[in-house]
Amino acid sequence: MNAGLRIGLISDYHLNMATRLQFENSCEIGVFSKLTNAYCLVAIGGSENFYSVFESELAGVIPVVKTSIGGTRIIGRLCAGNKNGLLLPHTTTDQELQHLRNSLPDQVVVQRVDERLSALGNCIACNDHVALTHTDLDRETEELIADVLGVEVFRQTIAGNILVGSYCTFSNRGGLVHPHTSIEDLDELSTLLQVPLVAGTVNRGSEVVAAGLTVNDWTAFCGSDTTATELSVIESVFKLRESQPSSIVDEMRKSLIDTYV
Amino acid sequence: MVQYNFKKITVVPNGKDFVDIILSRTQRQTPTVVHKGYAISRIRQFYMRKVKYTQTNFHEKLSTIIDEFPRLDDIHPFYGDLLHVLYNKDHYKLALGQINTARNLIGKIAKDYVKLLKYADSLYRCKTLKVAALGRMCTVTKRIGPSLAYLEQIRQHMARLPSIDPNTRTILICGYPNVGKSSFINKITRADVDVQPYAFTTKSLFVGHTDYKYLRYQVIDTPGILDRPFEDRNIIEMCSITALAHLRAAILFFLDISGSCGYSIAQQAALFHSIKSLFMNKPLIVVCNKTDLLPLDKVSEEDMKLVMEMKAEATKTVIGQGGESTNDEGVLLAMSTLNEEGVIAVKNAACERLLDQRVEQKMKSKKINDCLNRFHVATPKPRDQKERPPCIPQAVLEAKAKEAAEKEKRKLERDNENDNGGAGVYSASLKKHYILANDEWKEDIMPEILDGHNVYDFVDPDILQRLEELEREEGLRQEQGEEDDLEMDDELTPEQKEALAAIRKKKSLLIKEHRIKKSTAESRPIVPRKFNKDRNFTSVRMGRQLSSLGLDPSLAINRARSKSRGRKRERSCDGNDGAMDVDGEHSNKKMRLRSTSRSRSVSRPPHEVVPGEGYKDSDQKKKAIKLARDSSKKRNHDAKRGESDRTIPNLKPKHLFSGKRGIGKTDRR
Repeated sequence: MNAGLRIGLISDYHLNMATRLQFENSCEIGVFSKLTNAYCLVAIGGSENFYSVFESELAGVIPVVKTSIGGTRIIGRLCAGNKNGLLLPHTTTDQELQHLRNSLPDQVVVQRVDERLSALGNCIACNDHVALTHTDLDRETEELIADVLGVEVFRQTIAGNILVGSYCTFSNRGGLVHPHTSIEDLDELSTLLQVPLVAGTVNRGSEVVAAGLTVNDWTAFCGSDTTATELSVIESVFKLRESQPSSIVDEMRKSLIDTYV
Repeated sequence: MVQYNFKKITVVPNGKDFVDIILSRTQRQTPTVVHKGYAISRIRQFYMRKVKYTQTNFHEKLSTIIDEFPRLDDIHPFYGDLLHVLYNKDHYKLALGQINTARNLIGKIAKDYVKLLKYADSLYRCKTLKVAALGRMCTVTKRIGPSLAYLEQIRQHMARLPSIDPNTRTILICGYPNVGKSSFINKITRADVDVQPYAFTTKSLFVGHTDYKYLRYQVIDTPGILDRPFEDRNIIEMCSITALAHLRAAILFFLDISGSCGYSIAQQAALFHSIKSLFMNKPLIVVCNKTDLLPLDKVSEEDMKLVMEMKAEATKTVIGQGGESTNDEGVLLAMSTLNEEGVIAVKNAACERLLDQRVEQKMKSKKINDCLNRFHVATPKPRDQKERPPCIPQAVLEAKAKEAAEKEKRKLERDNENDNGGAGVYSASLKKHYILANDEWKEDIMPEILDGHNVYDFVDPDILQRLEELEREEGLRQEQGEEDDLEMDDELTPEQKEALAAIRKKKSLLIKEHRIKKSTAESRPIVPRKFNKDRNFTSVRMGRQLSSLGLDPSLAINRARSKSRGRKRERSCDGNDGAMDVDGEHSNKKMRLRSTSRSRSVSRPPHEVVPGEGYKDSDQKKKAIKLARDSSKKRNHDAKRGESDRTIPNLKPKHLFSGKRGIGKTDRR
């Protein structure tokens, strides 16, 4: 009850475009949800609190769909998608696939992928134009990604981590990557993705950025442990609420230095 | 980073309780029944156990006390000094020292009495010794009663100390009593410090927290300080001094310019100058409070001079930091906590200057290099001409515009849930928001399996079309394939075909052979590999060795050859005639006879029919023998076990001889 109340309070606070929330006392909300520019998938929880936070922000604009994938709730880690399509792992059941096809608009292609690495969300990070993938992904999967999601595909690692989907999150306007990414890597990735990038954390220092944060072009949701500093970095880099990435190096610089050093 | 939490120290029982706890524990946790008739060693052991157990309990309890109380030399000097001011370091150390001594004494007592118990010769003596041991331990504990009581008091007091982190961003408020320090902290934080119109309302340190630029600052309210020699200061004032001396904080020196606190500006200035050494290297702000009573510009000439002097001093500390020497704004600020004028400006100035100082220090540290990437925004360099626009639905932009006007309240799923019985009762339909051509289809029930088929495999609308496509493709391919085959056959002449067949046959034979070779029995060497690692036991070598000994090796070599596999048995036709061939010429008759009799029975050849065996004639028997030999040949060759092999059954089956023995018999489990 208390957690629900807290979430309620936070979500009603509409000045922030990045919303802080929890899924059943877990701050890893990126695990339990998948947000894109055309739809939002939400895990089926014990109560409607988690779903309603997304609903209040997004309903009427894009479909917010409750689903499971392969019978699990960790849908954010299992599927990958953008406004053009949705890739599901081979563990997805026929019923779930049908449910998703029924729930998503027709222009979103829903495709099940026969890939050994079934946690597609951990292996693929994408926006509407570019995708970074795990280095060991099959060639067929790579082609499927390019076809279904309509993106350019790059095999990459982030700060030495092959699970690119876990350690970075990016929309068409900006991106947040693992805090240990070096400046050269940042520049390289930024040029690949064609969006401004910042190395940062969520959930009070968590490095698994994608687990604590889901984001699209106009809104973001992050775990309720996220600090004010982290939240403002997120808002700046994703250009939410009229702030620009440059503010990270201008106004926020001192606060950041004092926090991290 | 060390956390200073003194709230988790376990309760220290007083001397009497301590003894009760330990003794009742011994009583509960060790055996209680012993008889005279027991073997003396058992009785001794019984009492030794009691003594040792009591001692370990004492040791444990006392050790937790010693470990949990902070060591004044190890903790942050701020806490070290604060604890010294509040509880007197010597007294504190003495108390802990006594506990330590008691622990050692008890250990020694236990050791002595256990040694004595080894020589006790009756139950009574053992018991007396135990009573004496426990009694002495309890006496030792009772003697440290006052120390325990003192430590318990300290523990209770320490648990109530504010949790100040000495390393974080801190703003420290100090000044004369009754100048408005607590009112200020109440204004900028949610700390609820008592404010009263008399001096020394605040008797200890208080902590509140405030936010500035995404960061959290800890604000410490200190008791008022009077301007008097260091030695004369009381404990309350010393708390403030400790905080001033040890915390690297922004310091707000409060000045009551109206003088309504009972101290003139001159007195306050004197205090400022007497403790200014404590302000070195810290951002210092002189705050003129109570401007509602007397605005700053109405202050008399000489007082203003004193204020300006203080300002100059405060600016010096800024110079001492090596930065912004010309910039003296934010060093002297005026405010009124009553009408909240200038309060936020003071807070912001303090936070800003503290942040500046910390950042400047951190920029010099080595750690900054590890974090440089976190202050870097990578901007993309264009790599092609492609436009990658963001995709924000029109509805969002419209909603944003509308949001400014009014926010319509939409009925959320959570509201539905609350209306319909709450979480766990309400179950929302997943099909509610399906996007289908006809809304009536939403709640249709889809069978999963129909007529033994997975329905989903057939729901694809264009599956037939695709199947047709695939079939067409396959047909095309087949046609092509047939053509290819035809062409191939046409090309070959009969001789070539024959050759091809021969090649294929050879190939399949080779493969078969290889497979046979691969089975282990076939590839097994003649001499076990473990005796012939270097493959040097050859007949050639044996011949060489024997001839060097002066013997004729030919017989031995032939015998070895005859025994090795892969060689046809030869009819022996040498002069010895069935006798075992012997190396050397001199074979005596007796030996030959024995060996002959042993080697085989001469009386009856194996193929001779014996009545009762069931053979018609010796031919049939020969055939049967041959068949039997042939049938076992493969098995023997593969070194497999046959029915006639000798076996030793498991003489002591494990399941009958292991495990607990209950009431049942040994051989029935």
